[in-house]
This record gives sequence, structure tokens and C-alpha cells, in this order.
Amino acid sequence: MDYIAMTTGFILILIGLFGALTNRNILRMIVAFTVADTGVNLVIVGVGYMRGRTAPILDSAVAAADAVARIIDPVPQALVLTAIVIGVGVTALMLAYAYKLYEKKHTLDIAKFTELKW
Amino acid sequence: MVNAIHIISAALGAAFLLGVLKEEQRRTAYAITLAAFAFMTAVSAGWLWAFVMEGAAPVEILTAGGTPPFVINLRMALPEAALTLLANLTGLLSAIYLKEALFAHGRRAMAVLLIAVMALSGIILTRDIFNLFVFFELTAIATGGLILLSENDCSLSAGFKYLIVSQMISVFLLIGIIFAYHATGTLNIDGLATAAHDLLQGNNQAALGLKLAFFLMFIAVVAELKPFPANGWALDIYESAHPAFSAIFSAATASAFLYATDKLLFIGGPDWYPIATGIGIVTFVVSNLLALPQTNDRRQLGYSSIAQTGLVLLVLGQRDILGEATAFIAFGLLLSHAVAKAGLYWLSGLVAERELTAWAALRERPLLVFAFVTFIAMLSGLPPFPGFYAKWELVHLLAGADRLVLIALILLGALVEAGYLFRWFGYIIKREAPAEAAACTTHKLTAVVVAAAAGWALGFLWGDLAGTSFGRGNLLLALPLLFALGFVLFDWLPAWVKNTVAIAGMLAFFGLTYTEYDPLRLIFAIIILIGGPIILLASYHAHGRRIGFYPAAMLMYAGLAMLIRATDSFGFFAAWELLTVGSYFLILRGKNSEPHALSYIVFSLGGAFLILTGFALAAANVVSPAPTFALASLSQLEQPAAPWIFVLLAIGFMTKTAAIGLHIWLPGAHGEAETDVSPMVSGILLKAGLYGLFVLLMTMGKQQLYGIELTHALLWIGALSALLGNLMAIFEEDAKRLLAYSSIGQMGYAVFGLALMNHLGWLMALMFVINHYIYKSMLFLSAGGVAKRTGTRDMYKMGGLITLMPLSFIATLIGIIAVSGVPPLSGFGGRWIFYNAILTTDTRLPLIIIFLAGPIAFLYLFRLIHTIFLGQLKDEHRRIKEAPFWIILPQMIFVALLMVFAVVPGLALRHVDHYLNQFFPEGGLNWTSGTITSNYGYWDPIAIMIIGGVIFMTLFMWLLFVNRKAQKVKQFNIVFSAERPYRPETTHFAWNFFASYRKALGFLVQPFVTRFWGAVTDTLHTGADLARRLYNGNGQTYALHMLAFVSIIYWIYFIGVGI
Amino acid sequence: MVSRFFVLLLLTGVGAIFVSLMFGYVPDNALNLTARYYAENTVRDTGAANIVAAIVVTFRGLDTLGEVTVLFLTAAIVGLVLAGSQQGRLRREQPAPGELLVTGTRLLVPLTLLLGVYVFVNGHLTPGGGFQGGAILASAVLMLLLADPLREFSHQLISAIESISGLVFVAIGLLGMVYAGGFLDNRILPLGTLGDLISAGAIPVIYSFIGLKVGAEFSSMMVNLSETEEP
Repeated sequence: MDYIAMTTGFILILIGLFGALTNRNILRMIVAFTVADTGVNLVIVGVGYMRGRTAPILDSAVAAADAVARIIDPVPQALVLTAIVIGVGVTALMLAYAYKLYEKKHTLDIAKFTELKW
Repeated sequence: MVNAIHIISAALGAAFLLGVLKEEQRRTAYAITLAAFAFMTAVSAGWLWAFVMEGAAPVEILTAGGTPPFVINLRMALPEAALTLLANLTGLLSAIYLKEALFAHGRRAMAVLLIAVMALSGIILTRDIFNLFVFFELTAIATGGLILLSENDCSLSAGFKYLIVSQMISVFLLIGIIFAYHATGTLNIDGLATAAHDLLQGNNQAALGLKLAFFLMFIAVVAELKPFPANGWALDIYESAHPAFSAIFSAATASAFLYATDKLLFIGGPDWYPIATGIGIVTFVVSNLLALPQTNDRRQLGYSSIAQTGLVLLVLGQRDILGEATAFIAFGLLLSHAVAKAGLYWLSGLVAERELTAWAALRERPLLVFAFVTFIAMLSGLPPFPGFYAKWELVHLLAGADRLVLIALILLGALVEAGYLFRWFGYIIKREAPAEAAACTTHKLTAVVVAAAAGWALGFLWGDLAGTSFGRGNLLLALPLLFALGFVLFDWLPAWVKNTVAIAGMLAFFGLTYTEYDPLRLIFAIIILIGGPIILLASYHAHGRRIGFYPAAMLMYAGLAMLIRATDSFGFFAAWELLTVGSYFLILRGKNSEPHALSYIVFSLGGAFLILTGFALAAANVVSPAPTFALASLSQLEQPAAPWIFVLLAIGFMTKTAAIGLHIWLPGAHGEAETDVSPMVSGILLKAGLYGLFVLLMTMGKQQLYGIELTHALLWIGALSALLGNLMAIFEEDAKRLLAYSSIGQMGYAVFGLALMNHLGWLMALMFVINHYIYKSMLFLSAGGVAKRTGTRDMYKMGGLITLMPLSFIATLIGIIAVSGVPPLSGFGGRWIFYNAILTTDTRLPLIIIFLAGPIAFLYLFRLIHTIFLGQLKDEHRRIKEAPFWIILPQMIFVALLMVFAVVPGLALRHVDHYLNQFFPEGGLNWTSGTITSNYGYWDPIAIMIIGGVIFMTLFMWLLFVNRKAQKVKQFNIVFSAERPYRPETTHFAWNFFASYRKALGFLVQPFVTRFWGAVTDTLHTGADLARRLYNGNGQTYALHMLAFVSIIYWIYFIGVGI
Repeated sequence: MVSRFFVLLLLTGVGAIFVSLMFGYVPDNALNLTARYYAENTVRDTGAANIVAAIVVTFRGLDTLGEVTVLFLTAAIVGLVLAGSQQGRLRREQPAPGELLVTGTRLLVPLTLLLGVYVFVNGHLTPGGGFQGGAILASAVLMLLLADPLREFSHQLISAIESISGLVFVAIGLLGMVYAGGFLDNRILPLGTLGDLISAGAIPVIYSFIGLKVGAEFSSMMVNLSETEEP
């Protein structure tokens, strides 16, 4: 059961990469990458998960003294936050690019943007 | 010291501060940006100073008041200081360079630039793997922004392609990081390394997981280094981005990512060295090959950048054998690359068009040409730049570990790279310059000049390091080289001043050093340091400033002087490269010499690389290893390495003597060169190869390889060079090319003499060294003088010049008498020794061949007199005058020298003969009283001179007597009739003079060799042209390449090698 | 089709890597070295109840600074990319947003803003924090834009909030070097009592500015995008 999140994450990554590599429409590629990003984030959180433990927040339910035995690994949670934000940034940037590319050629077909080659 | 974290905080603070400003306050914003960059640069520079000069200890910078691995820590040590300085300085200069673009795009662009450079410093400083990822992403995003500064529309699609790839990279990197964290419980790089080391001992499940996690991290970081084939996106960026950004991308970004790779290799340990090596070498060789057919300057530089990054990756992967030298080598290569590439990209912003040939716009600006030369010399690893020292140590250490395939591949790639870089330089100097010269505003110029200056400073630094760490000499302290470089600074002086200084300098150097040479070297020293100035007398005829001539010529002479003074292999090789480069610049000055100069430098560098490999193998196989390898130690080498070393060195030296098969560069290079350059490169430069062979044979002697006596093979090469060189010369219509082909033959004789391996053979070779210098210099000068006056070098267009140019005629006449080896001149002495020498050997067939070559030489020599000076005077030449005084003067000196040398050959040869006794005690000559005696007979030069003189005068008198009543007939007192011929030259009696011989012997002079080398280059070009279609421009394909790259490495490593 | 086959083939390879990774994955039974340290010492070192927040803002504060910079960078670049395409005032005809949306926005925007502020102010105590709070703030701006696409936002104001927050973040980091143990050390302010609103040193302060900054950056991106013309 521990593996469900992770497996789902990996499958999402593969789906995302497949989508990004087979869709020629730039917007679809960007969406595909966000799917892959989500997969990565899921894997990160999945790796930090520990059966039978609770969130790493100290309150009335979890006292500071027995935190070690009660909470899950907080590091992946912190990392995933950073990863999400960075993913958002890249996605926004790609969208802006997509807009500009469309403005230039009135198409969103990635195969049409091959002036630079060889 | 200022805490290194302020590099980051200053950049961020400035970037955020820019946001507060109004859009209109661009001046203020720009000032803030520059101030921030200056501060960042100063911090790094301060640390570098502290580490280098004050020996400071590395510093850990902890954040958040905790201890790693629980908080992120940064480290500042020597490599970090150097790399952040590189990044920040590149950023500062690019910001200065980008002034217009930054003003146009406003404060946001400035903020992006600041953050981009800050992120690079972050990558370099951080010791936390996830923090590394954050800085990676910052770099990626900032790159995506800075690409847009370009005025090139295509940059947009390039940026998008990059974002696609960087998304894939970050997927792999993140997965790798999280699993590595899970397996080790830490994100700290040092902690990971320790944990990985412990964990990987076992072969359990967790170890496998860690290996895979590491694989993903490693592959993601390596992918940022643009490895082949997953690098199409990078090329597009290089091609379309603003050059100032490309400078950062190539110099700073690549360096930062290389350092990140180094951190990962530190975690992964030696398991990953082979894969880094493999990726590095494939990328280096393939990228250089693919660069060959490029015509776009920035894309070619992109290929070159990728290649250089590959090379450094390879060095990182070889650290198991490079050991302590790794940093010296890696930084030598990396900094050479970074400085040169940044400089070249900045230069490219001054050139309006993107064709390589459009760089001819630089030609009118000597400063820029000098900067360009500095940069390509750095990239090609030429002395005195860091890449040279690094290459030397790298090849030596690889040879020590018997990694010969790697050496071969590295040198192949380096040769190809030098080939296209020097081809490019040829375009600059020789192609038609565009109407407008390169535009250079002060701030753009600043960046270029700083880069060039940094190049020289690094050269000095590396020379110093090489001295302290490996016992090599610092080339920038060598007097001859400094003298040559001085001419760069004083190139604005008029030519005659520089000429005088050059002559005085060479003579003074000889005066200072002549006691230090043994008799053999003394002969070479005299030819170089006395003979050189004599030829330089001819240079007085040039007017104006003659920009570029003196630095090049003096570089060549400096190289030659250092060559004969070198005692260890390093000094020898460095001198060899210097003289090669100097002579290349000289040769390139000829009017039509662009292709010939290119083939010269490619052959020469190819030869130099063989020599380098030879020396490296020698140093690795010597019985008693020492830090420096004395040339004399060549004699200690033993089987089985010795014959291979012999072969490598011999072939290397023979590229300079233009032995048959390696000769195709010579006719064009010597023929097309300027009037006073031809004698230098023919009369003097060719001797460098002979000197090398002397040294080689003196130390290593006879060697056997698979039962073949190698000196016997040399004998054959010498004989064939003599025969074919002479044969090719007789069919030549161009006077200077004829002389050039003749040099191939003459050098063949000398090689033959050396290969005889007996006393007289060597004496004969030395005789050829002297004679060839005198008469070939003289003939080239006289042919050059005639060509200057008639405006052509084609002999069939001349005729009857004897009355108009009597002095040139005399020089030519004396010259050909000397060359053909008939009495009474010194050529005969050479022949006499030669016949004596071959009588002592038992090899018959090459002997017959070399005999045959003799009369053939006469066939072409005779044409020089017959076609140029005798016969009918051409109408258009009716008014020409004798060649200029300064060209005639050295010729007359040579005539006098020939006479003296003919009468008293013992002057020079006696001492050498004596000296040779230590190698060949048998068979010396007896030099008593004017007469020279051998085992087979005697030679009395004075008597011969008298007899020859008497015969000549008798015949001459008789001729005058019988012709006393002859009636003078005007040339045109007959009437031409019939049609005007379609090709007028075909009616000239001397055109295709030896057509009948061509029928019989033509098959021997078919340009097989030229065709062979032509086919080699064509294959490379065509292959590369096909292969680069891999980069079809589609971002999706590039993403596919990336996946393919990951899969291939995965399969090779986990399935193929199976760890 | 051929390319699709290749993609599948290559992805199978990548899938194989992932499968092997999972095969090599050994679930932990106890916290590892780093996590254990955080579980034991977060309260002592930072005084924050939310361990994740303590890690994000303090222990791995440099990451977070980078993260904030990523958003800053993206906002700047989006502005840069779209700079040529913005016409300021848009002339195109918009469909009427509808009564429901306009009224709903009026009702929800203040509440959303309040929620956003609540989330980032309490970042050190409860799930949430600057990024989440900032995103909530930005969603209020999004609602405003949906209700009235022609509404003009002051770029200068957004930019000023963004930049000043960033400067404050860096400045607090630097203060940490002077008054506490190092860059971004939160102990420049008293740690207070665990669980109080005013506690955990500089964490709530930093988180608040992060919230403002993130909200400003998201808003800036959205406003920039909305001001572009239909290409």
C-alpha cells in the first residue's frame, strides 16, 4: 500500500512525458509537463510517507517530546513545496513563451518552429 | 574577508531594489546593476587573493545558525573563488557590453541578468544537493529570460526548446534527489558522499536504489553540460541568443555546471569516472567534427563550447590517474575555454553578418585581430596559454597509464578544432572585407580587451604553476618569446625601425649565447640567428608599417631559437608549437595563401600532436623517470615502446621537412608567400624538422619495429621524396612553386643522408642544411624580385630578362650551379660527401633512386635560367628595372657566402666532423691543409675552384671571340602572321617545356597524395554534414534525444557493465 | 507513427528505471538522521510548531529565498516577454461578466484576502504559510479580473510590494548574520511560547512578506497576461 502514491506518481510522470513528446501542440505539451510535475511531486511526498504516523505539526495531538515517534519525515514536505513553486514558475514562463510563439507565427505546432537547426 | 554569501545577497538585494524603481529610471537601474556586479566580482576576487596569496583555509558558510546537514551550507575554497570570479566577472563585462539592450528592455532585464549570474555563484558555492537544484532552476529560468534579449526572432523558439529540455532534466533530478535522500537520510553533498560510500559497500536492495538515484541525479546534471547527442537545444541558444548572453552561457554557465558535475562525481566516487570519460570524449570529438561544415559563426562557437565542456568532463572522469594534477589540467582547459569563448562571443557582437567570412570586417582593426588570435590560440591549446600546459600534462599522465586510445581521440578532436578555428582566421585575413569595418563602441571593446588581457595573464599564471608544480619553464619568461611579443606592442612603428630592431635583436641574442652551443647546434644557430637577419635585409624594401609581419616573423625565430636551445622535451615541444604558429601567420600573409596556410597549420599541428604523444610515451617508458624529460634520455628507451616513439617523433618531424606523403602543404605555402617570407620559411624553417631528426637519430639511433629497420624506412622516404619532389618540380610553370617542390627533393636528400646512419651521411645532411639555406634563400629572393618586377610568377610569361636584371641573373646562375652540385661551388662538396657516404652502405635500391633524382634536379634548375633570363624579352617587360636594392643585397651576400663556403668548406664542417666522431668514430674525413680526404678519394676545393674558373673563363673568352662579328637583330624584325592563338601561352617555347617527359613519367607525379588528403577532409565534411541533420530544429526531437541519451547511458551502465 | 513507437520504446526504458528505483526502495521504520534532528530540535532551535514551516523558512531558508526568487524572476520575465504585446487599455469587446460573478466577487474578495492573510500569518503554527497564503491573495485578484477584465491594476504598486517584500526578506536574512547565528537565522526575534501567534522568531515575519510577495507576483503575472491582446 505504501507504494500506491509512488506508483501513481511514476505513472503520471510517464504519461506526462508521453504527452509532451507526442503532442505537437505547444499548449498540450505544457499541460503534459504539468502532469509530469505533479507526478514528481507525488513521488516526493510518497517517499516521505511513513505508515501510521501523522503530519509534522506540533499541537495538542502531537507533543514536542514524542514527535520523533509520531510524525512523518518533514523534509520531503518542505522540498515538495519548493518543487511545486518552481514548477509553477516554469509553467508560467512556458505559457508566456507559447503566447509569444503564437503571436509570431499564428500556430502552436512545435514542428513549425525549426528555423534553427543543424 | 567579505562573507561569500553576500555574492548572493547583494545580487538579490539589487534585483529586488530594481523593482522599486520607476520604469523610466533606467540610468539609475543600470548603475545599481553594475555596482552589484562589481561588488560580487570584488568579493570573489578578494577570496581568490586570500587563497592564493595568503594561503587562507577553506571556509564553510552556515546558514540559519545550525550545522549541516540540517541546514544548508556553502563552501568557499580555491576552486569556488576562481569559478565565482569567472562567473561574476563575465557577468560584469556582459552587463557593460549589454548596455544598449539593457536600456531597451529596462530594469526587469537587469534583474534577470543579476539573478542569472547569482544563481551560477549559488551552484558553485552550495554544498546541498536540493539547494543545487533550486539554483539550477533559477539558472534555467533566467536563461529562458535572457535569451529574449536577442534581436534575433528565432531566439524565442530556442528558448522554448530549452525550457522543454530543462523540464525533463528537473524531473530526473528531483526523482534522483528524493531517492538519494531516502537512502542516505541527508541532502548534504559531503554527507551523501560518506553515506554513499558506506552504503555502496553492500550489494543489497538499498545500494541498488542509491545507485539508481545517483544515476538520475548524475545524468540530469550531465545533461546540462550539453552532451552529444542531447544538445540540439544548446546549439540553437548559442546561435540565436545575444552574444553577450552566449558569453555567459558558454563561459560561466558551463563552468558552473561542470563544477556541479564534479560535486556529483565526488558523491558517486570512482564508479562513475568511466561514464564521465565516455560522455566527455564522445562529445568532444563529435561536436568538433560537426562544427566543421558550419558557416554560422555563433553556431560554430556553440559546437566548440560543447566540445570544450566535453573535454573538461573527460578530465574530471580521468581523475583516478590524473590525481593531484586534475585541478591544474581541468582549470587550465576550462579557463582557456571560458575566457576565449566569452571573448569570441563578445567579438561576434561587433560583426554585422553571421557568416564566418563576414569576420573579415575585423581586419582593419589590428587590436581586434590580435584579440581573436589570442582567443583561438587559447582554444587550440597553443603556448603560452593555460590550455597548452594542461594538454601537455594531460597527455603525459594518460600516456603513463597507457590510455592511448583516449590520447588519440583527444588529439584528433583538438586537431579538428584547430582546423576550423584557423580556417576562420584565414577568412578574417584573406576574405573580402565588408564595406564597413567592425563597429566597436568603447564599452563593447572593453569586454573584448579585458578577455584578451585575462588570457595572457592566465598564460603567465599557468606557466608559473607549471613551473612550481611540474618543473616546466614559464614560457612567458623566455627571452626570445618576450622579444617577439614586444613587436606586438610596437607594431605601430614604421617597418624599417622594426626591421632594424629585429636584426639587432637576433644578432645580439646570438652574441649572448653562441658559446653555449655544441658544433652541431652552432650550425643551426648560425643559420637561424645570422641567416635570419641576412634574409631580413630584404625586408627593408617594404614601406609603411607592415602590420603583423614582425610579430609573426619574430615568433617563428623565437620558436626556432628556443628549439635548438631546448634540453628537455617540454621546452622542445613548446618551441616547436611557437615556431609553427609564427610561421603560419607569416605564410598566411601571401596574397593567395589562405588554403595553403590552412593545410600547413593542420599538417604541422597534426605532426606536433604526434611529437607530443611520442614525448609523452617516452616520459612514461623511460627507465629512470624524472619530473622533466631530458631530450638526451631518449637514448635510454627500450623495447617495446622505443620503436613506436621513434615512429611518432619521426613522422612528426617529417611533417616539417615535407617528406613525401606529408608534403602537400609545402608548394602552396612556400610558393604563395611574400618575397622575403619564402626564403625564411624555406631556407630556415624547414631546418627545424631536420634538427628534430638529428636529435632523434642522435639519441635513439637504429630501431626495429616488426623486424623492419626504421632508419631503412627513412632511407626510402628520403629517396622517394628526392625523386618525386624533383619530378614534380620539373613540370611546374610557377617559378616559386618550382623552388618549393625543389625543397621537397632537397629535404629528401638530407633525410636520406641522416638515415644512412654513418659519419659521412650525417656530414652530408649538415652540408645540405647549410647549402640549402644559402641557395634556396637566394633563389627565392631572386625569383621573388623578378616576380615583383614582372607581376607574374609564371615562367612562360617571362624571358630575356638577363640584360634588364643582371644581378638577379647572376644570383640565379650561381644558385643553380650550387644546387645541381656541379663543380666548383659548394653543392659539389655536398655531392662529393654524399657519394662517399652512400658508398659505405649496402642499400642499393634507394641509392639508385636518389642517383636518378640528381639529373632530374638539373632539368628544372636549368629552366630558371633558360626561361626567365634567356630567350625573347616580352613586350610588356621592356621597361622593367632590376629588383629593388634591398632584395638584391642579401642575394649578393649569399653569392659571396657560396664562394667562400666553396673554397673553405672546412670552416664550418671541420668542427662538426670532429663532433660527429662521438657518434660515428669510423669514416670521418681528413681535413689537413685545404684538401679533404676520405676513404675513397680526396677533394681539393681550391684546386677545383681554380680549374673551374679557368675552364669557364676560357670558354667565355672563346665565345666572345667567335661572336665578335655577330650582328644584333631586333626582336621584332619578323612579322607574325595568321591567327591569334586562343591561349597565347601555348605558343611560348617554354610552356609545358617537359611535355615529353610528362608522357613518360607523368604517372609518378599524379596528385595521389593530394587526392588522398582531399578525400580524408571531404569524408569528414560530408559525414559531419549528414550527422548534424540529427539536430532537425524540432524541440520535441531534442526532448527525444534527451530521453535516448538517458536510456543509452542507463543501458550501457546497468545492463552492459552491470554494477 | 514511427516517432510514437520510439517514444514508447524510450519511455519503457525510463519506466524500467522507475521500476528498479521502486525495487530498491526500502520504507523507513524510523525517522532518518535529518528528519530525526528536526523532530527533536525544531522547537528548541526555532520555536515553530509547524516543523515544515521551520524547515522551509529557517533550516532550508536559502532554498526558499531561491524559490521566491524563481517567482520574482518568472514575473519579471513574463513581463519582459509580453512587454511588446501589451496595449495598455484593451479595445476588444468583452462579454458581460454576469450579475452572479460580479456580486459574488464583491462578497468574496475581502473574505479571500482575509483568509490569505490568516494563512500566512499562522504559517508557523498550522498547515499553510507564505506561498499558500500568497496564492490565496492572488486568487482574489483573479476574481476581480474575471469580474471586470478591463480593470486596471497599478503595476507600480504590485511591483513595489513585490520588491520591498523581497528586500525585507534579504534584509532579515542579513540581520540573522549580525544578531544571530547566520544568514536567515530566525532567532533575531524572541522565540516566544510554542503555539503563540507571536512566536518562532522571524518566521511569521518572513512568511508574511513571502505571502505578500507571492501574492504580488502571481497577480503581476495574471495582470500581465490579461493585458495582452488577442494574438
